[in-house]
Amino acid sequence: MNSDERLIAVLSGRKEEVDRLPVINSVGTYTMDAMKTFDAYWPAAHKDPRKMANLAMGLNRLAGLDNVTVPFELTLEAEVFGAPMEFFEDKIRWPSVKGFIAKKVSDLKFPDDVTKAGRVPVVCNAIRILKKELDGKVPIIAYINCPFTSIGSYLVDPVEFHKYLKSDPARVHEFFKETLPYYVNVASAFKEAGADIITFRDEGVSLDNISPKHFDEFVKPYLAKLISLVMPPRILHICGTLISGKLEIIRRMMECGAEAITMDEKTPMNEARALVDEYRPGFPIGGNISALMIHKGPVEAIRDSVRRAIEEGTDMVAPGCDFWIETPIQHIKALVNATIEYGTPPRRR
Amino acid sequence: MEHRHVEDEMMTAKEEVLKKLVQAVVDGNLELAEEAAREAVNAGVEPYKAIIDGLSKGMEIVGEKYDAKEFFLPELLLAGDAMYAGLNVLLPLLPKREAGEKGTVILGVVEGDIHDIGKNIVKAMLTASGYKVIDLGKDVPVDEFIKRAKEERAQVIAMSTLMTPTLLSIQTVEEKLKAEGLKGKVKTIIGGGSVSDSWRERAGSDAYGKDAMEAVSKVKLLIESVKAAALQLKDSEEQKPKKEKGT
Repeated sequence: MNSDERLIAVLSGRKEEVDRLPVINSVGTYTMDAMKTFDAYWPAAHKDPRKMANLAMGLNRLAGLDNVTVPFELTLEAEVFGAPMEFFEDKIRWPSVKGFIAKKVSDLKFPDDVTKAGRVPVVCNAIRILKKELDGKVPIIAYINCPFTSIGSYLVDPVEFHKYLKSDPARVHEFFKETLPYYVNVASAFKEAGADIITFRDEGVSLDNISPKHFDEFVKPYLAKLISLVMPPRILHICGTLISGKLEIIRRMMECGAEAITMDEKTPMNEARALVDEYRPGFPIGGNISALMIHKGPVEAIRDSVRRAIEEGTDMVAPGCDFWIETPIQHIKALVNATIEYGTPPRRR
Repeated sequence: MEHRHVEDEMMTAKEEVLKKLVQAVVDGNLELAEEAAREAVNAGVEPYKAIIDGLSKGMEIVGEKYDAKEFFLPELLLAGDAMYAGLNVLLPLLPKREAGEKGTVILGVVEGDIHDIGKNIVKAMLTASGYKVIDLGKDVPVDEFIKRAKEERAQVIAMSTLMTPTLLSIQTVEEKLKAEGLKGKVKTIIGGGSVSDSWRERAGSDAYGKDAMEAVSKVKLLIESVKAAALQLKDSEEQKPKKEKGT
């Protein structure tokens, strides 16, 4: 069974068919080691499809991770809407926007064809290269940074944006309504280029930031619409606290319509599993290994964490975030090996 | 009796206006906070008391509600704005020496990161607690933190970051503090989405605040320890035999 068959089976609700649990990172499959080994350093790998493809494949080749993921940043969508970019030419840093360009939706630039805007074509071309070279054996995940986080963190000053939720909700809705088709088109372009799975990544909407009430008002309707308009399989990834006492957004996430949800270590896997199963038994969930812990090690701690996540009911062993760029490759190998050890065969429930 | 009655009424008026200040902050109502601050002044409430028992009390409640997940970022940010609206009225009326007496904090988001939502909340909380906060903004170069800490004779440098690669900047600040012999004289606290207490250990920072509320209590401890160390140093200098001079 290859990585593609394994992950697709889990996402299709056929976990009982897999030889072992998949070990993936649906939001980033790169590290410094991969940059070095495949000569695909940032920022070049953000702009050059060949380098982007090489870097995305890095951890599959070096450590046997079950997927590849593009792109490697959260600013792609903001750039499409006119944000001036900072790539830190001589440093290895996440790209960033140079400033916040929008106070209201009319401050955004709306491209005629979003699939040709910014670096959308770079990602599409990287996906085409990956599709050809991976030959359907390793699943290609492409992600988009969803409206709440990309607008509220990279286009509008987040301080003002969060206040608008209470002081000027109409302004926020207008942003989301006007931009939504563009997100659909970017995700669909990735899909058409050959992405097997789309991850909808929305980092800013957990209980660490906004209330479940605001999630229902500003996040869920748009995510549900967006996800419904993109071909499956789809993963919804939200990091941060998803359950806190009686509050939770796990069910709300499930109601957004993706085939699976993934989370980070701030959400205990056993609690997530219980909530999910109460609502839709066996619904695929992934996570929740701490990326910081994978970076720091030691190997025993990584193995322990993987064992626990599997025991507590994860369907896809995954870090809760991008790998830290300086994570030693041995630690990622430990993550993969522990999944093979503890996730074969997958637990039946 | 008559006299007593008037006093009681004044008492109640003062209490009412303090309550109004607290509520304005909790509700995140800027206009109400400003109005209540003026009313406090007119009612004869000491500006310092209006800040502590009104605005700060309000922020404290907001902090508790945030911890209890009754409040979230939007509520916190609006409460901060309301507090500043009240402070704008009250601070100019405060005797000069009271500002900054509790301690000075240099605050900023480290180089390479433009996300300052958490920093703004920390600033509001520290200000509400009576500290002088020098806000360097976001994307702050390493040297700037150290330069301003020296200029302002600050006890604490507070650094925030959301994105992992910028963590290297924090390490650099620690190294430079060490190189300049300032380690211990200026203490550091870090916070933000991508740091943790175990990361703090690696970076060599003095404290980690998981949120704005914890940041305030840790800053308090750091400032106390810096002041205590300075006092001890002064004492031991005075007790030192003079013969060392010139050797």
